[in-house]
Amino acid sequence: MGNVCEEHIFSSIFKTNSKTVFNYIYYKFGNEEKANDAVQEAFVKLWENCAKVPSEKAKSYLYTVANNLYLNVLKAEKVRLKYADQHSKSIDKESPEYILEEKQFQKKLETALNALPENQRTTFLLNRIDGKKYSEIAEMEDVSVKAIEKRMHLALKSLRVKIDGI
Amino acid sequence: MQENYLAKWLNDELSEEELAEFKKSGEYASYMRIVQTSKNMVAPEFNVNQAWDSLKTAQSAPETKVLPLNPFKPFLRVAAVIAVLIIGAYFYLGSSDETFTAQLAERTALELPDASAVILNSGTTLSFSKKNWSDNRNVELKGEAFFKVAKGKRFTVSTDIGTVAVLGTQFNVKSRKNFFEVTCYEGLVSVNFNDNEHKLPAGHSFTVLNGEIQSNQDINISISTPSWTRNESTFKSVPLHYVFSELERQFDIEVMIENIDTEILFTGTFNNTDINLALESISTPSQIRYKLETDKVLFYARNTP
Repeated sequence: MGNVCEEHIFSSIFKTNSKTVFNYIYYKFGNEEKANDAVQEAFVKLWENCAKVPSEKAKSYLYTVANNLYLNVLKAEKVRLKYADQHSKSIDKESPEYILEEKQFQKKLETALNALPENQRTTFLLNRIDGKKYSEIAEMEDVSVKAIEKRMHLALKSLRVKIDGI
Repeated sequence: MQENYLAKWLNDELSEEELAEFKKSGEYASYMRIVQTSKNMVAPEFNVNQAWDSLKTAQSAPETKVLPLNPFKPFLRVAAVIAVLIIGAYFYLGSSDETFTAQLAERTALELPDASAVILNSGTTLSFSKKNWSDNRNVELKGEAFFKVAKGKRFTVSTDIGTVAVLGTQFNVKSRKNFFEVTCYEGLVSVNFNDNEHKLPAGHSFTVLNGEIQSNQDINISISTPSWTRNESTFKSVPLHYVFSELERQFDIEVMIENIDTEILFTGTFNNTDINLALESISTPSQIRYKLETDKVLFYARNTP
């Protein structure tokens, strides 16, 4: 692995990680503007300290900086998520009732997600949306894989209880 | 069911039995739906290229303000302070002289860095620079001192009146107000007075009184050190006031004079330890009287009432 101070290494770290840093902060706080700021801040810090941060540690450095930026400062807002239009191909097969029911379920899920503790929501969404493995999330959050599994388990449990209760 | 089985299920880590048991539960359908629906969720749009561009513009604008990239600045500041201190200390310590003083009524023996020995007579100050001592053996003398110089490079004694230079010998230098006397006890001494060099072999002395060179006088060659190092002050045709000054130095007393011509020359010796003996030694040959009080002595003419 090369030095983070080299432009092309830094650029490739940005291309592969900036989107995830953005999502990570968005899932936590539900604020797009702050998530964008966090990306800028984290990468500026990484560049300033490029000589001190080995490239294999660059990833966890980014999440630590982004996370510390709003720690105890920002109050979580509602996370708003869109849904990929996966029905377009088979739309003729689905009744309007089904589509309506599906929309209602999505709304319930969103409400339930916003009721989750921030760390459970982040873990759940990083796994479901970004397809991150538990081990990857554990590295970002700087906790054990087991702790992430626990968060995931509790998140699913809470979501189901909440949705079934509505 | 194992711990965190929902997370394990999502990761396909459940055993077949566990999976079968889980599927039988009434909650399975709900979980399945949550997982299916959440798979189609998307995060807000994030434009990587746009973010990259704004990062680049943010970086280039305040680049001059990025102080941590100049890690030598604080170091240089500290280095400059240390350099100033070292240079200052070098000159201060280098220029500061070692100074030795023999107070009134006392004598001091000392050894110079090259093992040359010096004895200072009462009321004498000697100073020299320790720096470059081996190359430049030079001492400054105010008063009277006896030197036993170790062999080596030129050794010089600077006084207000004249300079004495030797290579390795034993000699005495006496420098008083308007009085300068160098006596050589061993070897050869060169005396520089008024830009003239005078060679002084062993057993000879060189005397300057009021700016005039007195004829060279032979000393008793059997004496190897000046008399004062043996607690005696010896004078040979010296005005009386120098004798009185020496008395003041040796006993730390004040000398008062009444009706006495102090320019009369005195030849003789007085003891440096017994004041009564010393006063007798001075007054008898000079035919004067004295009266001793604490801290002072009065000399007066014999015919004065």
